[in-house]
Amino acid sequence: MVNVWEMGGEANHPRKAARVAVVAAGVVSPLGAGLGPTLAALREARDCVSPMTRFPIEQCRCSTAGQVADEWLTPFLPNDRKTRRLHRASHMMIAALAELLEQAPAFRPELMVVGTTSGGMSFGEQYYRVLQEPGARTTGTPGWIANYPPQKPAADALEAFGLTSPCQVIANACASGTNAIGHAFECIRSGRYNRVLTGGYDAISELVFVGFDSLQAATPEKCRPFDGARSGLVLGEGAALLALENLESAEARGAPILAEIAGYGISTDNHHLTQPHPSGSGPRQAMERALQSAGLAPEAIDYVNAHGTATPFNDAAEGKAIAELLGRVPVSSTKGMMGHSLGAAGAIEAVLTILALRAGFLPANINFRVSDLGLDLDIVANKVRPTKATTALSNSFGFGGTNASIVIQARAP
Amino acid sequence: MSLRLAGLGWVTPFGSSLDEVWARLLAGETAEPSPVHSSLGGRRDRSVFAVPSAALAEAARQPRLRRASAISRFAIVAGLEALRNAGIALDEASAARTALIFAISNGGVIYTKRFYHEIVQSGAGAASPLLFPETVFNAPASHLAAILGITGASYTLVGDGAVGILGLQMAEDLMANLGLDRCLVVGAEEADWLLCDAYRKWRLLRSEPPIEPFAQSPRGMILSEGAGAVLLAREGEVLLERVHPGGNFVRQSDLVRQLDTIATEMPNEPAADVWIASANGTFIDEAERSVAARHFPAAAVYTAKPALGESVAAGAIWQVICAAHALRRQELPPLLHAPANLGLTIARSPGEKRWERAVVTTCGLNQQVAALRLSRPS
Repeated sequence: MVNVWEMGGEANHPRKAARVAVVAAGVVSPLGAGLGPTLAALREARDCVSPMTRFPIEQCRCSTAGQVADEWLTPFLPNDRKTRRLHRASHMMIAALAELLEQAPAFRPELMVVGTTSGGMSFGEQYYRVLQEPGARTTGTPGWIANYPPQKPAADALEAFGLTSPCQVIANACASGTNAIGHAFECIRSGRYNRVLTGGYDAISELVFVGFDSLQAATPEKCRPFDGARSGLVLGEGAALLALENLESAEARGAPILAEIAGYGISTDNHHLTQPHPSGSGPRQAMERALQSAGLAPEAIDYVNAHGTATPFNDAAEGKAIAELLGRVPVSSTKGMMGHSLGAAGAIEAVLTILALRAGFLPANINFRVSDLGLDLDIVANKVRPTKATTALSNSFGFGGTNASIVIQARAP
Repeated sequence: MSLRLAGLGWVTPFGSSLDEVWARLLAGETAEPSPVHSSLGGRRDRSVFAVPSAALAEAARQPRLRRASAISRFAIVAGLEALRNAGIALDEASAARTALIFAISNGGVIYTKRFYHEIVQSGAGAASPLLFPETVFNAPASHLAAILGITGASYTLVGDGAVGILGLQMAEDLMANLGLDRCLVVGAEEADWLLCDAYRKWRLLRSEPPIEPFAQSPRGMILSEGAGAVLLAREGEVLLERVHPGGNFVRQSDLVRQLDTIATEMPNEPAADVWIASANGTFIDEAERSVAARHFPAAAVYTAKPALGESVAAGAIWQVICAAHALRRQELPPLLHAPANLGLTIARSPGEKRWERAVVTTCGLNQQVAALRLSRPS
């Protein structure tokens, strides 16, 4: 295999590669809305998965999800008719951007790169339900159509704050959020941009919930990443945004630096549309490329925020790749606490990793009981673990064999 | 950075041969409309321009595509054609130095509708696990990457009619990495009754052809399907001079301002000789016409949408292919069904001076606008 994909490696860029700072962030997830509530829930290793309430699920095996309460978002949203008509995914994005801009009011991105898998899907579902009713004269409100496209929540968030940057919306399934951060990192690192707004969003929809259930990828029990008796994922939702800036220019203007994004790796595993190659070669390539991009040896990684969906295939492939490449490094998946928020997951998990490392702990992998005999991993089981670590890998893998890893170096507060 | 268009490929309602489709455009033909049915009963059929099944023979030979959506098949055929057009056969080493960007707007709407219909009609227990993976936006990109052997960067971008140009912008960003030799940018869409119904709800669809671009009273578009593919590389005949990623317009009235900004920021020196518009018989036509009249009045105008229909993400790539063809072959097809008093330059071939530069503008119907400029100096 020719290994030429040293993404962002200095040798591959025509000028000296820029370093990339995270200067602000905003987050909405089942753990809470805002960095403060999120950190509190993360520190407590709180189980934020609850019975699904948004649509009927009697025929599904799985009956739970990580959900964002609408009332959490109210303080962040303008109280006007136009905003009320927007999709929940837009509301989450507006809330995340409001928090980010509170920290960095002058941040004006030259580009927005965000990830999603289904945007405002539930509006499409409503439209179709009305349409298929026998004798229905109406075909739903035009608002459902206008606010259904997957890119719309990103545009709504920009519009809400008068930002006009062009927007690239990546839909690489569950890797979308990490792909977005990685590509945004590359854009600054190459010197083509100074400031990029990045992240991801997704809101739970019936179609996606039933889809994962039909594949028997969703569990009727607790979500137990890396546990020997794991039986599948639970879905989640949310949005997270990070303000990335050329480190030199951020430091020159005295901006607080939360972390650096130091490396990015992407790989495509062509084995199967919904399953990773059992060897873990796809995830391993993504992690190797992220390390190469960061110019780091495997020993430099202090912690891995794993994709860790708790499906038998994913965790086996990812665990194998981590163990082979990094040895017994501390690993946790935060999806047991909040579910799998798909296109938002990578962005939320990047924010969680930054928050935890800056607060001096490693996030817990909850609902863990027994090791999988096939995996020799140092799981941060059930409770947070104090640490002085600064350097982490955050993984996201998705349908279609898309794999993404980023290297995060947190700065002390 | 100087990136080139090294290979082109398309699947259209006229078929999939690069030369044959262009010849039919030059001949002033219009695709034949086909009816699409609602499957819900009691609903009026709609007209679309569909891809003939004979155009997809190459896709039928791929075992990986046995259960894949129409959109995946379109993408495979267009992508393979672009590689052939560039004279490139990917092996393991060259595939590792190739990135894939897939631009899409409506996605696999046929399978998505079928999957959700099963849920609505029969309950979640009846939902097919075979259909769901094909409803995911990046399923077509995954199939294409697998067939081409691409193991590195593969991105699916979602957006509206401008997403194809945003894909080319992303390709520029990716190609800043010298570890890459080329990037295949593919746009694809499939047509379905449900989409027709949604566009009709917004009064953007007309019931039957023709599409009348730049009409004083816009009467709407006809949806179509297919794919377009552009292989970007560091060598090639046509130079990608500049991509302007534009931005979002909130109200239709903002569209002119946004296009003006793009035209101002994308210097027109030397002046563009050819302008490929996204005019499709809707509100965007007048915005494009007024901006073009101010910024590139001497450029020969063309839109392929009266002939091929509106195919959103695929349509943007078709526009780029038309621009490249105009520069390569020094000819343009006739502008169909446009008013006589357009106030723009109509020409099918250059006058005294060769055509060396072309501008492409794309205005989506859901807020995005972008543009690019190509050149082929003599």
